[in-house]
Amino acid sequence: MKSILAICRKDLRLLVRDKAGFFFTFFFPLLIAIFFGTIFSGEGHSPRSIAVCLVDEDKSDGSERFAGQLEKAVEFRVLRTGRGEARELVRTGKRTAFLILLPGFGNAQKRAFWGEPPEVELGVDPARRAESGMIEGVLMKYASERFQDAFSDPARVHEDVGNNLKEIRTSKTIPRSDKIRFERFLGALDRFALTAPSRTAGEPVQPDSLKSRFQPIAVRRVDVGVVRIGPKNAFEFTFPQGIVWGLLGCTAGFGISLITERRRGTLLRLRSAPMERWQILAGKASACFCATLAMSFVLLFVAIVVFRVRPHSYSLLVLSLLSSGFAFTGIMMLMAVLGKTEQSGAGIGWAVNLVFAMIGGGMIPLFVMPPWMAQVSHLSPVKWAILGIEGAIWRGFSFHEMIVPCAILIGIGIVFFAAGAKLFKWEN
Amino acid sequence: MDGLSFEIGKGEIFGLLGPNGAGKTTTLLMAMGVLKPDAGSITLEGIGSPDLAQVRARIGHAPQTLALYGDLTGEENMMFFGKLQGLSGKRLKERTDWCLEFVGLAERRRDRVKRYSGGMQRRLNLAVSMVHDPQLMLLDEPTAGVDPQSRNAIYENVVSLKNRGRSILYTTHYMEEAQRLCDRVGIMDSGRLLALNTVPHLVSLHGGKSVVTAVWPDREDRIETDDPVREFNRFKSDPSLIGLRVDKPTLEQVFLNLTGRRLRD
Repeated sequence: MKSILAICRKDLRLLVRDKAGFFFTFFFPLLIAIFFGTIFSGEGHSPRSIAVCLVDEDKSDGSERFAGQLEKAVEFRVLRTGRGEARELVRTGKRTAFLILLPGFGNAQKRAFWGEPPEVELGVDPARRAESGMIEGVLMKYASERFQDAFSDPARVHEDVGNNLKEIRTSKTIPRSDKIRFERFLGALDRFALTAPSRTAGEPVQPDSLKSRFQPIAVRRVDVGVVRIGPKNAFEFTFPQGIVWGLLGCTAGFGISLITERRRGTLLRLRSAPMERWQILAGKASACFCATLAMSFVLLFVAIVVFRVRPHSYSLLVLSLLSSGFAFTGIMMLMAVLGKTEQSGAGIGWAVNLVFAMIGGGMIPLFVMPPWMAQVSHLSPVKWAILGIEGAIWRGFSFHEMIVPCAILIGIGIVFFAAGAKLFKWEN
Repeated sequence: MDGLSFEIGKGEIFGLLGPNGAGKTTTLLMAMGVLKPDAGSITLEGIGSPDLAQVRARIGHAPQTLALYGDLTGEENMMFFGKLQGLSGKRLKERTDWCLEFVGLAERRRDRVKRYSGGMQRRLNLAVSMVHDPQLMLLDEPTAGVDPQSRNAIYENVVSLKNRGRSILYTTHYMEEAQRLCDRVGIMDSGRLLALNTVPHLVSLHGGKSVVTAVWPDREDRIETDDPVREFNRFKSDPSLIGLRVDKPTLEQVFLNLTGRRLRD
């Protein structure tokens, strides 16, 4: 046992002193996780709001008030621009749409039930029909709110009715018969506003009581916590990927180090010591296993402390990391038999690793894989490692669900290690 | 290997002399227990075969290649291989200190080996092989590729080990080394042991006659003789002689006579 520990300590010490090896084992996976996590997280704002450009060509009090409403709207991220810039930003895909409050917007807002309505020009790519519909709905919502606000105060209704009647009476375009109808209707509205009864008998009339009369539909929102089936943030799937890249790095590094030992003659010196061959391999495997665990815990520490990744189960996470480390230690042993020299070993080893990563979710997250690729991924140990780690972080695996990936990983470790130890060439 | 058989006595330096590919390293690997002979046996001090771990613990091996970890210091290399040999604690520290002092690397003990010169690495290679104070040392071309100064230091180390009662199996293709260091020399070629004896006996048995060369202004005479002193005295009275040289047979001549080719062909 002392010999195994001595070899393990020696290999870990060599790993720490090898700057390139240390970088690719600990920092490269961390950079991958942070880099892709940042990319997939977007620009740091809520992805549920739509980026729009807003142009106020009316520049009236009314248009400015409406623009202010839109700027405060949670549904939009508003950028105030000119018409040309707005068009360019939408054309180049930097903004989803542009909204232009056309001249006459403010005056049109003051009118009710007659004349042209306030006009907004919406510029959006024809392919983005869903967003276009959402934008129109949001515009109607805020326009309707303005309408409701206008009728929330009887005194304001009285003033608006007076202003509208004055315009109608002096209008040369409205026929006399229509003027009479408007006079009757608006007069009745004015009287209704001043004497509106409460909705429920006995309740006093509130200043806001008219607002609900002009509300087409009342929506009661009830918050229901949806069970999440995806990662809560991008780092929850980029860090498992980063850990797997670290595992692949350890696998290649320690596999190649066995070839180096054979070529440099240190393996011969180890064999001349009073110990058995299996003890030499066990020492090397122990070092590889310890390095995979150290790398995994460093990445997880950063993920938890800096990127607010919150594992669903810490105990299952440890179990999945132990299984993954075991599997990739076995793969390391097989890597050591792939080449006669360090160069050929590194070339073949990384080629195998890349295939494992490509089909196993090391490059494309498992949950966005098309079904056929998800089937192929079963062949890669990378898939089972990622599945286990994700299972403990955001997939919400139970212990029984975790058994499958862990058992497969342990099986891979045993088979690959046994095959590697059997095929390993001890002589140079 | 073909019918190889020899014994090494306690406190003896036994040389295996032969060209590259003669089978010297293979012999060492079998003596170390790394390779198994098809037939026959190897026994150390009557305690058994080097296949056994406890027997290997009494053998020290300095491979031909520099089997060291360049990113570890000299001291760390010593400590690591010492632990593999079963040493620990105070004993390991004492042996490490002694060995580094012995090969003249005590002052550079905390430098990484990759910063050592070739000669220093060779000396450390030797030091590592004796960290566990073995009875038998297998030195595989321990001076290959080193400067004369380090080579002399290694020679002194080897002689010192012999004087401490260690048995040494020393392979080389330098006949000067074999002549200078070895009590007995086995001459190998193509896996066979062609001759085995002390250097003087090998020379007298297989080296041929001495050659006395006398040089005059207009000619040169070469005379092969069993009594070079008599011939030397005969020529030296000639006043017209401008040069007189006696060439005694060497191991090189022995190898040439035994194999029909030179040692470094």
